[in-house]
Amino acid sequence: MKDLLGAAEFMDGYLAEAEEHLSAARSSLLAIDEALKKRQRSPAALRNLFRSVHTIKGLSAMVGAEPIVDIAHEMETLLRSADQLGGNLPLPAVDAIVKGLRAIEERITSLSRGETIPPAPRELLDALGSIQIEAFTQRQLGTLSLAPDLLAKLSIGEREQLQQGLAKGRRALRVDFVPSQARAAEGFSITRVRERLASLAEVVKVIPFTLPASAAATGKVAFALLILTDAEDAAIAEAAGAGPEELHPVELLGAGQSADEDAAPEEPPFAEERGDRNFVRVEVGRLDDALERLAALVVTRSRLERACSSLIVAGGSRELATIIAEQRRQLRDLRAAIMRARMVSVSEVLARAPLLVRGLTRSSNKLVRLSIDAGQSELDKSVADRLFPAVVHLLRNAVDHAIEPAAERRRKGKPEEGQLRVSCSERSSSQLTLEVCDDGRGINRESVAKRAGLPIPQDDAELLALVVRPGLSTLDEATHLSGRGLGMDIVKRIVVDQLGGRLQLWTAPDQGTRFTLTVPLSVTVLEAFSFMCSERTFVIPVSAVEALAEIEPQSVTEAPNPGARASAVRLFKHRGASVPLFALGSLLGLAPEARPNSKAILLRRESELFAFEVDRMLGQQEIVVRPLTDPLVTVEGVTGSTDLGDGRPTLMLDPLLLMHRAEQPEAHRV
Amino acid sequence: MSVLHVLFRVGEADYVVPAADVLQMESFDGATAVPGCAAHVAGVVQIRGRVIPVIDLRLRFGLPPIARTLDSRVIVVSSGNRQVGLLADSARQVLRIEADAFEPPPAVVREQSRGFVNSIARATSGVVMRIDFDKVIGQQSVLEEQGHGQQA
Repeated sequence: MKDLLGAAEFMDGYLAEAEEHLSAARSSLLAIDEALKKRQRSPAALRNLFRSVHTIKGLSAMVGAEPIVDIAHEMETLLRSADQLGGNLPLPAVDAIVKGLRAIEERITSLSRGETIPPAPRELLDALGSIQIEAFTQRQLGTLSLAPDLLAKLSIGEREQLQQGLAKGRRALRVDFVPSQARAAEGFSITRVRERLASLAEVVKVIPFTLPASAAATGKVAFALLILTDAEDAAIAEAAGAGPEELHPVELLGAGQSADEDAAPEEPPFAEERGDRNFVRVEVGRLDDALERLAALVVTRSRLERACSSLIVAGGSRELATIIAEQRRQLRDLRAAIMRARMVSVSEVLARAPLLVRGLTRSSNKLVRLSIDAGQSELDKSVADRLFPAVVHLLRNAVDHAIEPAAERRRKGKPEEGQLRVSCSERSSSQLTLEVCDDGRGINRESVAKRAGLPIPQDDAELLALVVRPGLSTLDEATHLSGRGLGMDIVKRIVVDQLGGRLQLWTAPDQGTRFTLTVPLSVTVLEAFSFMCSERTFVIPVSAVEALAEIEPQSVTEAPNPGARASAVRLFKHRGASVPLFALGSLLGLAPEARPNSKAILLRRESELFAFEVDRMLGQQEIVVRPLTDPLVTVEGVTGSTDLGDGRPTLMLDPLLLMHRAEQPEAHRV
Repeated sequence: MSVLHVLFRVGEADYVVPAADVLQMESFDGATAVPGCAAHVAGVVQIRGRVIPVIDLRLRFGLPPIARTLDSRVIVVSSGNRQVGLLADSARQVLRIEADAFEPPPAVVREQSRGFVNSIARATSGVVMRIDFDKVIGQQSVLEEQGHGQQA
């Protein structure tokens, strides 16, 4: 084959991208197929599928892979008419598209091997071309109560999305957002509002419109956000920074009868889709570069702020304070904008999982049903890239070891088909929780303990500590007996050491196993408290802190300490409860100092509160976190490093991990 | 063929590393100690936006600690994708040493230095020892290394 465009690199890029879109197309198709089985349509998946195929066609045309272009073109035509006719893709069409994707895949493989691409099979093109799609009339859903000009801007798919949402009992709302200086000052821009609403609702469409000229304003631009939600009006109004008068419920009118919806001008949905989604593919490295520069700016800013505050204390102008505050906001917005550009949807990240599990079950002869519920969650690209291998390990373990063969399951009175579930939710604005859950045999404590040569763990946390020991993973026989173990040290290293997150385990014999991975949404910039402890400065993420409190002598009770543990635990009275209090300095192995007016940082692990005594709090600021990756300085409890503006590293701590280190029996401590 | 080496001093002895492996040299005005890591790790420093660990060569080589001076230098070496700072008492010179001037150290020296010295050469200033900085910085984590030490 001739060297297309004479550029091997270009070809590499093509192959990587085409693979990516092929896999996206496959998962969209899986979704459509799933929906078809339930006699539902999936307009969103159909549109995604169209987009993938369309992109493959465009890319293939650029490298001159004509047979792929031909196949993709026929598929695209079929999908376009399906979308225009209401998103109905009948089973024969799904089958034909499966064949089409396979044919494309084969040709991409030939291309990657430098072989000649076989021409597009005639019968496939004919099959794709001959499928007739009937208009789907589901008028019984009724018409949306929206102004005609707004209605006209919705594609059929989007209308269906709203109608189906309503039919399922969700609420559809039109939220109006009128940009103004005052709102911008409060930090409400249309992007921000959209982003905030996305955490509470499914944003179906944002439609810009012109406000009628009034005495107050002359034809200003406003936005109508059409959303589906289960949240309260008050929450929505707050997220959108809107008054109650700016929320309009959208309802279904005349359900059951055929409305004159067709009379609305039919826009070609895809033409609009393209206008709406102006994508640029950006190499992550460039965004990293932009972030790196922003990081430097954040550091300069905190120096500037320090310089200004001493000026202000010395009687400087109040305007300085205003400017600094405004710059702080601007920097935060800029950071948010770059971070948004780096976000990828968790559903997309997990899109390869079903194929993976299908492959695993085929080789293991087990029946496994994988369900994925990632909602609308998004993750920073770098976190997603690191997290996915951990999820793969967990899925593989579940299929290989946890879920029993069908016969065994039958004996135990379980359904033959094992359930494997990946779900994820945003725990807070900075953390994401991902659960991998199976209904298999559970982890056998005794056999794990035996393999590790250690006492039988008393609870799931202790068991987890054993399971993630590096030695355990190499013992193949143990993994079968114990039901778990393969690569768990890798999972821990990714989640805890690399991402600074948390790994939790729940397991019960014959009921199943659940791993909970809590990871930061992004690993670069976050809001942190800085504090002093034993004469050194440390930081801790604000998101991790439950509360801060003063330590009064009368609120602390010494607990018996016959073993004279260095990190003695005391009891601290906080809001009527007794909380274990650790001196952070001694957990760190630093000279503990009894000093008056010390502060407590309260953290929560599961449902338990723990307090850590520090000398004093310094303040709260945005920090740029760099992971400490070198093995010389990877220490449990020290989760990263930052520059507070003095050009020196300041360590970020996770006191719970430090406590955990101290809790380990002496024999295990290194 | 002569190869450029960076000459540095730790205690009373002169050491070299190939200049090609040295990324930069910085003066040393303290590192942020990382609680819980090995004693010979002075801590982390920030050099051109990167946070890297610094190994105190005096402690690594079994010498008593001294107060750092203006002469103290951090020699940043790269090994694979790692960057590590080596804290030396001083480092001022770049030397050209003929590649064949190096010879293996006497077995007892190699033994005693735990493989930290991989060859020696006679330079104009006297004997210089070329260090195997992969050994000095350690390939595995500190914890593992100590763990193995305990078992042995």
